[in-house]
Amino acid sequence: MLNLIFYAFAALTLGGSLAVLITRNVMYSAFFLLLSLIGVAALFVLASADLLAVAQVMIYVGGVLVLVIFGVMLTHKPKPETTTGPQAARPNYILTQHRAWLWPLLVAAGLFTAFYSLISRIHFSLFEHRAPFQTSVDTIGKQLMTEYIIPFEIAGILLLAALVGATYLSSQGDRTNNQ
Amino acid sequence: MLPIILLSVFGIVLLFMGFLKSKVLLLPATLVFILAALATTFMDWGKTYLYFQNMLLTNNLAILFTTIVLLSAFMVVALSNSFIEDEQAQPAEYYALLLFSLVGAIMMISFENLIMLFVGVEILSVAMYVLAGSDKHSPRSNEAALKYFLMGAFATGIMLFGIALLYGATGTFVVSGIKSYVYTNAYGVSLLLYMGIILLLIGMLFKVSAAPFHFWTPDVYDGTPGLFTAFMSTVVKTAGFAALFRVLSVSFVGVYSFWWGTLAALTCLTLLIGNVTAVYQTSFKRMMAYSSISHAGYLLIGLTALGTQTKQALVFYSLAYSLATISAFGVLLVVSRQRQDTNGVNENFDAFNGLARQNPLLGFVMAVSMLSLAGIPLTAGFWGKFMIFTTAADKGIYWILVFAVLMSTVGIYYYFRVIIAMYFREGAAEPVKVAPFYRYVLIAATILTLVLGLAPGLLEGLV
Repeated sequence: MLNLIFYAFAALTLGGSLAVLITRNVMYSAFFLLLSLIGVAALFVLASADLLAVAQVMIYVGGVLVLVIFGVMLTHKPKPETTTGPQAARPNYILTQHRAWLWPLLVAAGLFTAFYSLISRIHFSLFEHRAPFQTSVDTIGKQLMTEYIIPFEIAGILLLAALVGATYLSSQGDRTNNQ
Repeated sequence: MLPIILLSVFGIVLLFMGFLKSKVLLLPATLVFILAALATTFMDWGKTYLYFQNMLLTNNLAILFTTIVLLSAFMVVALSNSFIEDEQAQPAEYYALLLFSLVGAIMMISFENLIMLFVGVEILSVAMYVLAGSDKHSPRSNEAALKYFLMGAFATGIMLFGIALLYGATGTFVVSGIKSYVYTNAYGVSLLLYMGIILLLIGMLFKVSAAPFHFWTPDVYDGTPGLFTAFMSTVVKTAGFAALFRVLSVSFVGVYSFWWGTLAALTCLTLLIGNVTAVYQTSFKRMMAYSSISHAGYLLIGLTALGTQTKQALVFYSLAYSLATISAFGVLLVVSRQRQDTNGVNENFDAFNGLARQNPLLGFVMAVSMLSLAGIPLTAGFWGKFMIFTTAADKGIYWILVFAVLMSTVGIYYYFRVIIAMYFREGAAEPVKVAPFYRYVLIAATILTLVLGLAPGLLEGLV
């Protein structure tokens, strides 16, 4: 039963990411990305990494994906040349092109072989060890507040730098344009 | 540890100082802040401290690298007086981001836990992405920021994957813990470790722009405002090599035979691409971008021939390279701004035509820095190259040595093009105006280059 669920979600992940690659419509690929990311979250649950699963849903499905969709909707789109076709009426219609697929395909195939041979040859020492499920939130929270307090705090500097940078880059505040 | 806290606080203070009407205070305040951080860095001199459950490790080597980084930042900030006059510039934000990026650089230098390395790389990179695009109305600057961001995010992802695999192999993020894992399992190291090493190296080599991960460098260095290019090519590179040295010399020295061949091949590729492509550039700034790739190659020789002399060679070379690069960019900044052509700022070689006749001082500063970058005797750059080549000779890797010497003769060609333009070509009649403080900084950098060239023993025995 568990195996069946695993394979179902693995198929969802793989199928979703494959569809992201194949479809040419950016909006569709955003939705397929949603499927793929939810599949990954489910795989995290099956691996009893509950915090990771929640984070995956909140950050990727909730945050990043919404950003992508907003990005598509807010992108300035030129008027399509063929105003008669059925595509012309649809909003949020951005097509990408499949160009130069040979080299990426070769690189992907090479990476696949490398990782596959790596995974198949590794001896995972904890693989046979079956631990009873216990929530990881407590442990991670305690670790973040004790052992990893310094990286946790300094990540605040990272966020501040990103915030200052984002405000700076998006601010209109230049006096020369008003002159 | 103290400089990290101080610089974080000072960065926030600078953001608040941005509320002040007058921008005059910002520049001296930033200089004082950096000097304060530098002073606290030296409080730990001669001691080895582990901070906060194996998060940071300060020793003399880390202090020296931190000094180089802070010194470079000090000089870059001191050369930034044009922001005060520029109506569009927002110096409070720039300086705050520079201080934050220094926090990241110091973390990259003195990390003991790979998480600290990752957070440090991210802080440094995020600040640099913004500064690369700080000239908001220039399409080139925007392009540079976007390219740097996309490539940098990609590289960070690869690096993080490598760190995760290293954790999977060893069960620890601590650098010395990985070392003891490698030593206790000398014959049965997990394959994950090898994959982790490769991915971590790829991520770091991206950051220090070594070939074949260099392709973002020319466009980014070219498009970024000149001052931040100087910061990028000195601070980021020094911090990156300090991080590479720590992780290679502590964690992975037990599997030296695995990675040295790869690194040697990449070193030669970096030297070849950097030096040969630099010959064909017409823009001085683009030439400096390729030159920074080639200097990454020279520094990689020291890592490839990892030995007892390596750390001293890396420190000396980084210092010599940073001094020469900053004074070269300092001269470029004033010259390009005051000798504009139809396209605006002129950053080509011909901007320097006849410079030595009108401004003997600027000409001399530029000449010394070019000689130092080319590795001519009596400058610091010569001794830097000498020490790096000595490490290779000690290790017995002679072919890389021969190749590097050949490539540095190619380097002489393109560095001398500037000197020829300055001393033997006719140029604009009116001299370039230089502010007094600006001049002192350039003179100080030149004097340091010459002093280190005459007495290279000054830094000996410090690490």
